[in-house]
Parts: sequence; C-alpha cells; structure tokens
Amino acid sequence: MYGHVVSIPKGHNSKMAARCVLGSTWSSLSAVRSRANSSNVSIFQKITSCPRMLFFGSVQSRAIRHVVEKKEGNTTILEGLTEDAHVGPQPPNPTAPCPIYRWNLQNKYNYTDVLLLSQFIRSDGGMLPRRVTGLCAQEHSKIAVCVQMAHRAGLLPDHKPSLPEGHIPKKPNPQLNRYLTRWSIDSVKPIYRAGLKWCKKRISVGHPALKDNVRYGKKILYLKH
Amino acid sequence: MSSFTKSAQQWATFARSWYLIDARMQPPGKIATMCAIRLQGKHKPIYHAISDIGDHVVVMNTRHIAFSGNKWEQKVYSSHNQYPGGFKQVTATQLHLKDPKAIIKLAVYGMLPRNLHRRTMMQRLHLFPEEDLPEDILQNLTEELPQPREVPRRLDEYTQEERGAFPRLWTPPEDYRMK
Repeated sequence: MYGHVVSIPKGHNSKMAARCVLGSTWSSLSAVRSRANSSNVSIFQKITSCPRMLFFGSVQSRAIRHVVEKKEGNTTILEGLTEDAHVGPQPPNPTAPCPIYRWNLQNKYNYTDVLLLSQFIRSDGGMLPRRVTGLCAQEHSKIAVCVQMAHRAGLLPDHKPSLPEGHIPKKPNPQLNRYLTRWSIDSVKPIYRAGLKWCKKRISVGHPALKDNVRYGKKILYLKH
Repeated sequence: MSSFTKSAQQWATFARSWYLIDARMQPPGKIATMCAIRLQGKHKPIYHAISDIGDHVVVMNTRHIAFSGNKWEQKVYSSHNQYPGGFKQVTATQLHLKDPKAIIKLAVYGMLPRNLHRRTMMQRLHLFPEEDLPEDILQNLTEELPQPREVPRRLDEYTQEERGAFPRLWTPPEDYRMK
C-alpha cells in the first residue's frame, strides 16, 4: 500500500508521470489520515508512520509547492501538495541566452503576434524587465516596439492600466482604427506643408527596428508613406 | 462560351455589375484603388477609355476604416473656395468626424483619370458609413470583393486552447512576483 513504485508505461510524458506519482502520494496520505483519525494519533506519529515514497525517475521541472492545512476536530493535518508545472514542448535551440533565439523566432514576429507579445507584458500593459525575461537588448527593444504598436492598434484590450476611481475623461477621444503607428497619438503634429515630390515630408509607418523581418513575397517594406 | 447564344454572350459581356466592398479595418487607399479599377472598367479585357464599361461599386463601413502609421493626425486635406482667406486645412480625424464618407470619396476621386468621365464614374460609386444598405442596392449586388488587408486577431479573440497550445518562451524565477 505505502512505498509502492508507480510503474509508468512508455509513451507517457513526464507531466502524466508526475500526476500518476502524485496521485499515489495523495491516496496513500488520505489512507494514513483515515487510519490515524480513528485512533486519535498525533501529527508527528502520522508523518513518521508513513514511509518515504520512491519516485520513479526524476521530475524534470521544479514545481511550486503549497502547504494545505486542514482541521478535523482535535487533529490538524498539514499536507504538502506539489503543483506540477506544465512541461511543454522543448525549444529547438536550448543553448541560447535569449528566449527568442532559443525558439528561432529572430526575424519572424510582428505586431500581430499577440500570443507571443503577451508573454512579455504585465497585466497593465507595460513590459517586463530584461533581467527577468532574459531577452537580449535588441530583441527586448523590438518586442517593446511591437507591444507599443499592438496597444495602439487595440489588439491588447485586457492589458489597459486601471484608472483611478471616479476618473471622468474630460473629452472622449474619437475611436479611430489604426495599425503600425510608430509615434504616440498626442505627440504628432499635422503636416500642413507637405512639399513637392522631391522634398515631400513623408508619414512614417511601422518601425525601422523590424526592418530585417522575413518577407514572403516580392513586395518590399515601405517605412515612409 | 460556345454553348451560349449570341445575345446571351452580348448581355454577359456588356452588363454593368454591382460590386460590394467591406471597408472595416481596411486602409482607405487600398479600397480606393480597387474601386477606381472597377469604376473605369479596367478589370475587363474589353476595356477601352471611350466605351463606358465601368461597373458600380458599393463600399460599406466607411466609418470604420483604418489608417496605417499616424496618418489620422498627420494627413491634411486642403481646400480653397477661391475667396481671399478661404484656404482651409483639416486633418484626417477632423474630416472623418465631420463626414465619414469623405476620405474614401476623395481618395477615389484622385485615382480616377482627369477627364469628363470622372464625374459619371463617381456617380457610380456608392458609399455607406455603416452596414445598413438600402433595399434597391442590396438587390442589385452581384459580387463581394475580398478585403485587401488581413485583419489581425485581438488577444481576447483567441480561444483558451490556442493560448494553451502556444509554448511558453521563458519561465519566470520562483521568487519573482508576476504582474
């Protein structure tokens, strides 16, 4: 009953392996609890009576541990439960300092790849620091630029900063659709004298940091419209 | 086609079609090029500048067009009513709030050839700010054209499965409190 090794057949991934092992731990602990409750044994004896579990193989990822306390009459039960971390697919280039280079996404992402960008932002839309995410300097700035453009395009509606309570905007901004906006909306002035063709003041679109992105097709990237 | 009668073939070749374009989240310049090509009749192999073979084009959702870059703030539409002091310059935002059809109308007008046919071609262009089209135009429509720009999906439009299927690129350190 206790101390049995869970044999995991081949083909199961480590997540399922962890769950099988933990399931056996949980069931054995509950069995101990039910046996101890009947005889009113103290906590110390319960923990020592349960022999060590033998884990099959080694769990690859470090998991977050929780301590759960339960009270049933005279006895308090403290149980340590491991939350198994998701072990997803492995990156194709694991020996690289920057996560973008690990997954070979160097010049392949854009402002529309919201699933990628949302991994590097806080809940109020700001970027996470470089020392935490592990991005190299160039990729961090590229991702920051893409996040800015995605915010201005309205692709991240749930990552807005929370306004203080009772804040009423003085004049509501007109809701206009936009994309590939380089500059902030309030910082830009209208071009009243655009000039002739040879000296025209062009409107900048996109960002030069994304100039090296892979383009499939013959069209070149126009940054000045 | 060889199986049609001569009169049926003649009808099919020279009939005036009605095209529908949805301009939601689309750049107005690209919409205008599509309109101008079809208003002139340049999409037909029987095109000639003299023969009046342009088609009707109906553009809906002109209020929801999307400009790239900072064009809403930077692009300026100028006009002069020939009186002294009658030079007006208006940004794209102000013009769009005043009249939601004006931006596409001016764009198409500038792309058509500068001759007397231009006014008749503009009469065949029908612009609607929202999706509600009148009955008689709905009955005339023959084909809807595909949108020029692929509209990107917002983060909340992705399902939970798609978000879970996307791999985590980096793992946060245990002592870091996220967000």
